[in-house]
Amino acid sequence: MSSAPHILVIDDEQQILRAMRTILTEKQFKVTTATRGEEGLTLAATNEPDLIILDLGLPDMDGVEVCTRLREWTQCPIIVLSVRDSERDKVAALDQGADDYLTKPFGIEELLARVRVALRHSARAQGAQSKVVKAGLITIDLAWHIVKRGDEEIKLTGTEHKLLAYLAANHGRVLTHHSILTNVWGPADADHTEYLRVYMRQLRKKLEEDPERPQYILTEPGIGYRFIADE
Amino acid sequence: MNSANMQSSSFTSRLRQYLIAFMLIASITAIFLVSRDVLDTTLIALLYLIPLGMITALWGLGPGIASALITFLTFNYFFIEPYFTFTVHHPADVVVLVVFLIVAVVISQLVARAQAGLAAATAREREATQLYELSTALTGLHDDHAIAQILAKQVHAFSQGEYVELNITGLQPFAFHLPETNQPFRAPELVVPIQAPRGNLGEIRLWRAAPAISFGEKRLLQTFASQGALALERAWLAQAESRARILEESDRLKSAILSSVSHELRTPLSTIKAAASSLRGREVNWDSPARAELVAAIDDEADHLNMLVGNLLDMSRIESGALKPKREWNILPEIVGSVLARMKHLAEEHQIEVDVPESLPLVPVDYTQMEQVFTNLVSNSLKYAPANTVVGIRARVEDESIHAQVSNQGPQVPPEDLDRIFDKFYRITAADRVTGAGLGLSICKGIIEAHGGRIWAENVSDGLAFNFILPLAWDGAMSPQLPLDTETE
Repeated sequence: MSSAPHILVIDDEQQILRAMRTILTEKQFKVTTATRGEEGLTLAATNEPDLIILDLGLPDMDGVEVCTRLREWTQCPIIVLSVRDSERDKVAALDQGADDYLTKPFGIEELLARVRVALRHSARAQGAQSKVVKAGLITIDLAWHIVKRGDEEIKLTGTEHKLLAYLAANHGRVLTHHSILTNVWGPADADHTEYLRVYMRQLRKKLEEDPERPQYILTEPGIGYRFIADE
Repeated sequence: MNSANMQSSSFTSRLRQYLIAFMLIASITAIFLVSRDVLDTTLIALLYLIPLGMITALWGLGPGIASALITFLTFNYFFIEPYFTFTVHHPADVVVLVVFLIVAVVISQLVARAQAGLAAATAREREATQLYELSTALTGLHDDHAIAQILAKQVHAFSQGEYVELNITGLQPFAFHLPETNQPFRAPELVVPIQAPRGNLGEIRLWRAAPAISFGEKRLLQTFASQGALALERAWLAQAESRARILEESDRLKSAILSSVSHELRTPLSTIKAAASSLRGREVNWDSPARAELVAAIDDEADHLNMLVGNLLDMSRIESGALKPKREWNILPEIVGSVLARMKHLAEEHQIEVDVPESLPLVPVDYTQMEQVFTNLVSNSLKYAPANTVVGIRARVEDESIHAQVSNQGPQVPPEDLDRIFDKFYRITAADRVTGAGLGLSICKGIIEAHGGRIWAENVSDGLAFNFILPLAWDGAMSPQLPLDTETE
């Protein structure tokens, strides 16, 4: 990227804003901050940031609504921040188009990793899609429907393949149960989380070295799944 | 029975009393007439007093006086010379007659008064018995509905009324009536307020057309009402007192919680403050290993603090009933696996043996909450069991339920404390030996119960085991069968 990526942080807690500004500026990002939803929406429209970090607990409006209104006109990646136990809000924001989430309190490595994934994903969405995803020993060829561990091909069923392809194409991002079910099985099966549980377990058995301690297909409790690929 | 009928029947019975009285006098007169020559006139006059006394004693003053007058005439007609006339020749006989009349009337009156006194005493005894029964029945009742029911029953039994209704005002007004029929279409014959020192608590409404409600009955019903009022007041006061006691208890518990929590929160805070300030104060060299250690301490203690706050939030949600599991069909081995993966670094000193078969059916649970149950049970086991011992996790299907167990080879718990370890802030060992606010197990209990299950602890041969049972059915449905495709492409 030519210039430093511009990040807009919308959060009503001054202490958080202060810490984020310090850390992100240190990491060579350009940072703008807003403490209210309306202010954030205005800044997003005038500054056209590369990424928005949005707290869901804003004083003037619902964070999920901010998310919806942003998505009406921009595809700029959004990472939502929330406190523990608000899975419902997180899922709502993600289903409204947010790209990822972080639960307060979070570690800074975690924040930077999410920022990197979101920026890369938006760059990828604008440019050409990569056809091959590598994760450790696993190679997934999205165009040719071939999955290999090293040189050995892994046999997958039709549904397993569709599922893995969707995960791999969005690697690094959290995918909600709803979005996976809708994209892989279709809108009619959007509530059947048990499908996900069973197929994810099968996939893990075929892909992971230790299915109990997965490295590639991670569970995001109460939210969904995340596929971890090489950078 | 309507009132006209009742009146006519009482009239007939009175008429019969008079007739029998006259017949009695007639038959005695006949006996005396036969033996008139042997019996002395004064003796006959004396003997006549016996049936008179009997009549008055049996039927009261009216028949008594009437019989006395008739006897006077009969005596004069049949036994005073000249016979078969009402004329009297001997002045002595006049005296006999007058004395007889006076004595007959006086006896009748005395006997009648004694009778009336007896009747009044009986009535008073009946009233006293009724009141005694009422107050016995009301004693020990602390429920206003039960009190109203007893009161209505007693009023109904005593008054023999057609319909009795009790209206109780107060915080939650209610009404109670007997019998289970519709209220008569007219105003009640008697309304007695239920009056307590604090004010009116309601009223008793009585429907009874006949016999008309007497003054005595009304007075007794008023006594009933005041007995009821006392019982109601007592019940309400007892309720208020127990509410106050509960509030006081929960207040006491809250301050205990607050002090325990502040203590627990201060421990990680002290570490963070000490580490952060020493890093800031340049007392530690930039590249010394101590620096990395201090930074790690800040990070760890912040996590610990976060966990404590999370537990407190969970506990308050469990207490307020706001903990609603978001149930989905889940794979138990996956939940256990993810918990163990996350706790790996905590379990380095212990050996963990997992026996949670893949063949288990899907379980209808909240993924995050069930993770927390296993996390808390395992971390509790790790905390108390000595190093190099085994912590076991197993699960089986039993009677359409999942039976899971987390066992350890740590110290056993005295049998009387096995239930109490699930209480908030309960610790077996002294508080300073083990960290944590003592909320883990009570959170487990809250979550398992919110899932319709049951959790308990038991001493096993070499340690302690936590067991829980979760129903496998969800809204009546069992684990779904999945449309699995097994064909590979």
